[in-house]
Amino acid sequence: MMEVLHPSTLEEALALAAGDEDTYFVGGGTLVQLDWARGLRLTDRIVSLGRIEGLRDIEARPDHIRIGALTTLATLERHVLVAEKLPMLHTAIKGIAAPSVRGMGTIGGNVGGRRGCLVPVLLALDAQLDVARTGFRQRVSLVDWLAMPRDPDCIIEAVILPALPEPERYAYRKIGLRAAFTPGVIGVAGRIWVSEGRVTNCRLAVGGGVAAMRLFEVEALLTGEVLDAVDWPQAHDALVEAIKGPEDAHRSTRYRRKVAANALVHGLSGRFPGRQVSRSQPAHAPADCLADEIRLGRAVSGERWHVRPDGPAKIAGRLTYLTDVREEGMLVARILRAGVPHARIIDIDTSEAEALPGVAAVVTHRDIKGSNGFGIVVQDQPAMCSDKVRYVGDAVAAVAAVNAEVAALALTRIKVCYEPLPVVTDAERALDPGTEAVHSSGNLQSELHFERGDVAEAFADAAHVIEAEYNTPRQMHGFMETEGGYAFVDDAGMLNVCAGGQHGRRDQMQLSRILDLPLEKIRVVSSPTGGAFGGKDELTVQPALALLALKTGKQVRIQLERAESVAAGTKSSPMRIRMRTACDAKGRLVAQQVDLLADAGAYASLSPAVVETALEHACGPYDVPSVRSHARLAYTNNGTCGALRGFGCNQMSYAVECQVDRLAAACGLDPVEFRARNLRKAGTRGYLGQAVAPTERLNEMLAAAAADPIWKKPRGISADGAEYIGVGMGMNYQGNGLGTLPPDPGGGELRLAPDGMIEAAYGLDELGQGLLAAIRNTVAAELGCGYADIRPLAGDTAKAPESGSTTASRGTYVVWRVAREAAPRLAEELVAAAARLLGRAPDSLVVVPGGVAERASNSGELLISFGDLAKALAPHELPRAETKFDFPTSDYFQGNARLIFAFGATLARVAVDRVTGQVRVLDVSQHTAAGPVLDHAAYLGQIEGASVQGVGFTTMEDAVLLEGEYLTWNLDTYMIPSIRDAPQSMAVFALEGLEADDAFGPRGVGELGIGAVTPAIANAVADAIGFWPERAPIEPERILDALERAS
Amino acid sequence: MTQAIRFSLNGTARELKVPASSRLIDVLRDELDATSSKKACGIGRCGACMVLRNGTPANACLLMMWQVEGADIVTPEGLDAVPDSVFVRQGLTEENAFQCGYCAPGFTVTLTALLRDVASPTEADIREALSGNLCRCTGYHSIIRGALRAADLKQADSRAGAPDSLA
Repeated sequence: MMEVLHPSTLEEALALAAGDEDTYFVGGGTLVQLDWARGLRLTDRIVSLGRIEGLRDIEARPDHIRIGALTTLATLERHVLVAEKLPMLHTAIKGIAAPSVRGMGTIGGNVGGRRGCLVPVLLALDAQLDVARTGFRQRVSLVDWLAMPRDPDCIIEAVILPALPEPERYAYRKIGLRAAFTPGVIGVAGRIWVSEGRVTNCRLAVGGGVAAMRLFEVEALLTGEVLDAVDWPQAHDALVEAIKGPEDAHRSTRYRRKVAANALVHGLSGRFPGRQVSRSQPAHAPADCLADEIRLGRAVSGERWHVRPDGPAKIAGRLTYLTDVREEGMLVARILRAGVPHARIIDIDTSEAEALPGVAAVVTHRDIKGSNGFGIVVQDQPAMCSDKVRYVGDAVAAVAAVNAEVAALALTRIKVCYEPLPVVTDAERALDPGTEAVHSSGNLQSELHFERGDVAEAFADAAHVIEAEYNTPRQMHGFMETEGGYAFVDDAGMLNVCAGGQHGRRDQMQLSRILDLPLEKIRVVSSPTGGAFGGKDELTVQPALALLALKTGKQVRIQLERAESVAAGTKSSPMRIRMRTACDAKGRLVAQQVDLLADAGAYASLSPAVVETALEHACGPYDVPSVRSHARLAYTNNGTCGALRGFGCNQMSYAVECQVDRLAAACGLDPVEFRARNLRKAGTRGYLGQAVAPTERLNEMLAAAAADPIWKKPRGISADGAEYIGVGMGMNYQGNGLGTLPPDPGGGELRLAPDGMIEAAYGLDELGQGLLAAIRNTVAAELGCGYADIRPLAGDTAKAPESGSTTASRGTYVVWRVAREAAPRLAEELVAAAARLLGRAPDSLVVVPGGVAERASNSGELLISFGDLAKALAPHELPRAETKFDFPTSDYFQGNARLIFAFGATLARVAVDRVTGQVRVLDVSQHTAAGPVLDHAAYLGQIEGASVQGVGFTTMEDAVLLEGEYLTWNLDTYMIPSIRDAPQSMAVFALEGLEADDAFGPRGVGELGIGAVTPAIANAVADAIGFWPERAPIEPERILDALERAS
Repeated sequence: MTQAIRFSLNGTARELKVPASSRLIDVLRDELDATSSKKACGIGRCGACMVLRNGTPANACLLMMWQVEGADIVTPEGLDAVPDSVFVRQGLTEENAFQCGYCAPGFTVTLTALLRDVASPTEADIREALSGNLCRCTGYHSIIRGALRAADLKQADSRAGAPDSLA
C-alpha cells in the first residue's frame, strides 16, 4: 500500500526522501500517474510538495522573474507577466495537454520530467533553477542541470527567468501528432539578438519529445553573421546535424531532425523548405447546385428535426450503461491476458490465486464444457487458451473477486508457464514457406481470385496506366466505453449476460456453443453501449463473464482498462493494395488489376468477410471491362483484427479513387469529367454480375460534387504563405447487408404493452447511432400514433425477436421493413380491440396519437387511449404483430455479393504545412443518396462522425506493434481526432428519393460517411502539392520529401 | 495507507477511508456507485471522467484521493445545482449533440464551467475549452452547435431576466 506524505518544509521533504530510492516527489501528480499507468515506476511512498510554503509564488524583480515550481500551467497561462512579457512561454503553455490538465500540472513537473514541452523554451530563455538538496540550496542554469545525472533527492524550488533585452526575432513551435493535446514529436525554440545588422547573440534549443538540448554549434555559426546575409540553407544543414532525436512508433529520427530544422529556420528567417509549388491541375469549375438535395441540420431540417429519446438522460449522466450497474455483493472480474504474442502453454496453475482471500473463482479452459472456440466466420479463437497463445491479448484465465484490488492481485498469482514461439509480425513473410504457423492450418487464412475480360490485352492497348501500392492502417475503433458489463444466473436458472454488443442473438448462440448450454438458458442484453463501430461485433468479455457467473452463482461485473482493451480488442486489418489501372486515350477505364494482402492478426473474426467486401468494391462505382483481382489474408501475431466501419470498402476506395484522379491527370481531364465518363450505368448488373436494386444515384452524386461550393474556396498557397491548400473528391459506393452467402435474418415485433405504450421490439442494438430515434419515428409514422406513444426496445434477447446484426449498414432497412409490415397489422388489431370495447364498427376507427379515434372526426378527440385499451384487455388479448424476413439478397452465389447500395461523393479541402509536412483538413462536404431519411439528426450524426473517423484514419491513426506488442497502448499514443482536429466546416446533404419500382426502402448510412474520406483527402493533397500519399495515415515525412524533390 | 479523506461531493460532506493514492474516478465508480463520471482512458487523455474540483474542470482519473482532501467535487449528476448547466444541457439536447453518449457527461461538465466563465463563448473558445474531451461518435460539430446553442439560450435568458424560464 502506498504512503502519501505531506511535509510542510523543503527540509522535511528532503529528509523524508533521504536514502530512499522509492520515494517520489510530486507536485500536480500528472506525470507520476502516467508513469504508473505505463508500469514504469511503482513506488511505496510519494512526498507531496503541495503544503510547502512559497512554491507557488511568482515574483517579478527588475532583473528576473522567479516562478515557484508548484505554479500550475493554468496559473502561468493566465498570469499577466507571462502573457505580456513572455509570449514564447505563453504559446508553449497553451500547447501543453488540455485546460483541465494544465490546472493540475506544474512548471516544476514539466521541467523535472526533462522531456516537457516547456524545456526548449526555458532553454532559449536562459532559465535557471533553484534546486534544494539535503543541506544546501543552489541556483543552477537549466543547461547545467540537464547535463547532471538524475538525482532523485533533489527538489526544484523555482524556475528563474532572467530579464534579457528583447530579441530581434524569436521562434517557438511544437510539432505533435494532432492539433491539440498531443505528445511532442519535437519542440523548438530560438531567439536572435541583432545589433547594427549583425547577430550578436542567439539561443537555439530543442526538446519536448526528445532529450532537451541547446544547439551551441549552430548558435556559434550564426553569431557574428550579418542577419540579412545568413546562409540559412547551411544553417539548416548544421541544425539537422546537431539535433538528436529518437525513432518511435510514429516518427523517425530523420523526420524529427528535419522538421525541427525547418521550424527554426522558418521561425527565425521566414524561409520555407522545399520548393514553391505551382498547381498544374486545371481547377474544376463548379456547376450548378443540385436542386433535390436537402441539407441536414437543426436549423434547416425544420419539423423533421427531433430530439433523440435517449439524449437528455445521456447528457445529464443519468443513463445507466451496462458497465455502470452496481449491486450489493457483485463480484469484480479481471481477465488474464497472454502478455506474450506467441507461445505454447506448458502449464496453468491457478491454485495460489484461488487460495487468495476474497477470490470467489478462477476460470480457465478447464471450465469450458462446450466447444472452446468462437468467431463469427470460423471459430478459431479460444474463449480461454489451453495449449497456445497467439497474440498479447489472448485470454488465458479470469478471476472474480470481492473488489478490483483483489482481482488484480489474483491475476499476479496465476502461474502460466510458456514456451516462446517465433513471432510472426509481417503478413507477407507469414506466407513464406517455413514461417512458424500461427494456426496448424497454416498462415493463409483465405485467398480470393476474380477475373473478367482479357486483362493482358487491355493493358497492352491502354493509353495510360497508373500503378501504385496503397497501404492502410491498423485502425482502432476507439469506442469511448471499453468492453464490459455484468452477468448473473437468475432465480429461474437463466444465465444473463449483459455486455455491449452488436448482435445479441449471435452472442447468445456463440455462448451456447462455448458453455454447452441451450439457447433458452441464456439471455443476452447487448445495449445501450458506448460506441462499437464494429469493435463489439465479435465476442469480447462475454465468455469470461459467463464462466465466472456460472461458477460463482453470483453477479459478476467487468470493464476493461483502456490498455487491456487496446491489447485484446480487434482492429481493422492493415491492407497492402497494389493496383494497376488503365484507360484509353479518351479517358475510359479499360483494365483494373488488384492485388491485396491483409493482416488478420491472430484470429479470423470477420477479416475474411472484410477482404471479400474490399474485393467486391475493387472497381468502385466504375465500369471496367477487364478486371483481375487477387486477395490473401494472412494470420500473424499482430493483435487480432475484424470488423470496423467501412469494412474493407473505404480501404479499397482510397486506392480506386486515387487511381482515378491520377488517370484523369494523365489524360489532362478534370477529375469530375473523367468520372462522368466511367461511372457504372444505372440499370446494369453489379460488379460481380449480380442483380442490384433499381435505385442508382451515382450521376446525381457526381453532379452534386461538381456543384459543391468547396471548389470556390481559396486554393493554392495560403495567405500567410505557410500552407498549400487543395481540394479533392472521392465517389462513395457502399453495399448494405451481409451479402448473398451468410444468413441474414431480419424481423421485429410491435405490441401494445400492459401500461399502454406501443412497444417496438427489435433485436438490434443502440450503439449510439440513433436506432431508438429511427424506430420511434418510423413506427409512429407507419402506425399513425404519436412519438410519445412508442417505447423502442432493443438489445435484449428476452424482449425482442431476431433482427440480425447491427452492422453492415443494415439496421435502417430492418427498422423500416418491420414498421411497414407489422404496423398496419397492429393498427388493425388495435382498432378491432377498440371497436369491440366501444361497440363500434372497426372500419369507423383509426389509430391516432394517444389512442384510437373516429375516422371521420377531424377533432382528433380520442375515443379510447392506448392506456385504457390496454387496461381493458387481458394480457393474452393485447394486440401484437410480429414479422420475420431475410435481408434482401442478390442472385450471385459464386462469391459474396450485395444487392442494395448507397451512393455518395465526398469532398475535402486540406492544407499542407510547408514546415512540418502535416495535413490539416479544413472542410468536408458529404453528398449522400441513401433513400428516405428516417431521422435527420441520426443521419447527420452518422455522416459527420464517420467523416472525422475517416480524417483520423487518413491523418493520424495507426495501432503500431513491435514484435507483436502494441506501442500505442492508450489514447496518449493512439491518436484519435480531438475537437481541434475536426474540420472548420462540415456540410452534409441527402438526396432522398427512390425509383418507383425500388422496394428496398431507406439504405443504411453507418458506413457511407467514412467510405471516401481518405481518397478525398489524398486527392486534395495532390491538388495542393502534386503528390499522392500512398500510405494512410499520411506520413508528414513523405510530404516533406515530396516538397523537396521538386525544388 | 488507508486514511480518512474528507471532501464535499455534490454539496454533501463525505468522509471516506480509502488509500490516499487511489483515484477519484475509481472511488466514485466503485465505492460510491456514482457512475455518471465515466472512465475511458484512465490517464487524463479523454475527459470522460471530468468533474469540477473547486469549480474548475479536472480529470477524476488524475486526482488521487489525497488531492481531493478538503475539495469541493461536483460530478455530472451534481451539475443540477450549477445554474449554467441548464443551458448547457438544453443546448446539447436540442442539437442532438451526442450519439453513444459515453463522453457526454464529461463534455457537459467542461461546458458548464466555460459558460459560467465566458458569457458568450466563440467557436474558438469552445474548441479550446474542449480540447481535453474526446468524442468518437460525432465528429464534434454537433457538440459545437450544442454549445453555441447553450450560449444563445443563456443570452436570451439573461435578456428576459427570468433565470428559471427554461427549467
